[in-house]
Amino acid sequence: MSETFDHKALPEDELLAAEYALGVLAGPDRIAAERRIASERAFAALVTEWEQRLAPWVAEIPEVIPEPQVWERIVAALPEQARRTQTQGGLWQNLAFWRGLTVATGVFAAACLAAVIYLGVLTQQQPLVATIEGDGHRHFVATVNVKRGTVAVVPAAFSADATRVPELWLIPADGKPRPVGLLRADRGVTLPLSGELAALITGKAVLAVSLEPPGGSPTGLPTGPVIGTGPLTSL
Amino acid sequence: MDLDANRSLIATALGRIPAGDRTALQTVYRLTSAKLFGICLRILGERGEAEDVLQEVYVTVWRKAADFDASRASPMTWLIAIARNRSIDRLRASRQSRNMEPIDQASDIADSAARADSALEGAQEHARLHSCLEGLANHERAALRGAFFDGNTYEDLAARMKVPLGTMKSWIRRAMIKLKACLEQ
Repeated sequence: MSETFDHKALPEDELLAAEYALGVLAGPDRIAAERRIASERAFAALVTEWEQRLAPWVAEIPEVIPEPQVWERIVAALPEQARRTQTQGGLWQNLAFWRGLTVATGVFAAACLAAVIYLGVLTQQQPLVATIEGDGHRHFVATVNVKRGTVAVVPAAFSADATRVPELWLIPADGKPRPVGLLRADRGVTLPLSGELAALITGKAVLAVSLEPPGGSPTGLPTGPVIGTGPLTSL
Repeated sequence: MDLDANRSLIATALGRIPAGDRTALQTVYRLTSAKLFGICLRILGERGEAEDVLQEVYVTVWRKAADFDASRASPMTWLIAIARNRSIDRLRASRQSRNMEPIDQASDIADSAARADSALEGAQEHARLHSCLEGLANHERAALRGAFFDGNTYEDLAARMKVPLGTMKSWIRRAMIKLKACLEQ
């Protein structure tokens, strides 16, 4: 193609923002753009402007009502303080207070368990949930959907480590950890769960998170510290 | 539903989320989940995956509601961007866009205005965008559609439209420049 077009009609950053908002970037380009959104206000503003321009296009996508269970799964995945508002009614309205609660205590673990049980009464046929806690911190909440073969893991009070990445492990009744995948400190991830792994999930299965070198444990077993564990609970 | 009333309900509810108000999140969910689920489903093409991503979307909304700046974006724009980005992340993780059917450059379907459902975003805004998209060359509009609705990457689009990657980048960038100029008129 002999398309000659002066891209400098718009600054490079503006074009990059447009590409990100449109969604055509992949791999390192997409990650680099996300980093800039997080760290550069001016660039983030350009992306927002492009999102605003393109958003009306979704009018062409028909609405589809999700299954009611999806809302229940969302509630189950919220940080526990949020679920306490459901069971205890508005005790936790203070922003500074609940935001400051990055250190979870046993009391919260108990409250979380109570909420899990409470939700369990409400709903049958729910996915399995594990709250991954350790050293007084509640790090991640995992939701396993055996039927679909996925595990969705959302960070709670997990703090990122510059040199190591969190890796999720399934520890079935035999006590031997199986690697599931790498987690993110800044957002939820959904990992595939092979049929082989899913078959190992019984009443005694536990999820654990260890800190591993970038790319994950090279050995197939945890090599770094295990920062938290949590039994899989049927809702 | 009245558009402005809806928009202000969503914005108000988003504003209550940082204080830990779970019913505010439920309000946002009630008003927006059908639209956002439609978006996830359109990009991912599979209901189970779209449900997983929709869950991530609202947990993200819960965590990031304090970042929402009503002076910069409408609440729906903010939510739509989260839904699209989470869906695209999921698509990228599986390394392949769902829709890789060849696109015929010459015959992009341009009849979609009639099908537009404008319950959440203003019909006027959509009409304006649509008219500016109509002003693009067919191949440019087709490429933008593949990116926006199918979550295609540059590489995907180049393959679907059977052109070199550099050409595709040039098409998209050129189309975006034209689109911006048209929308600002």
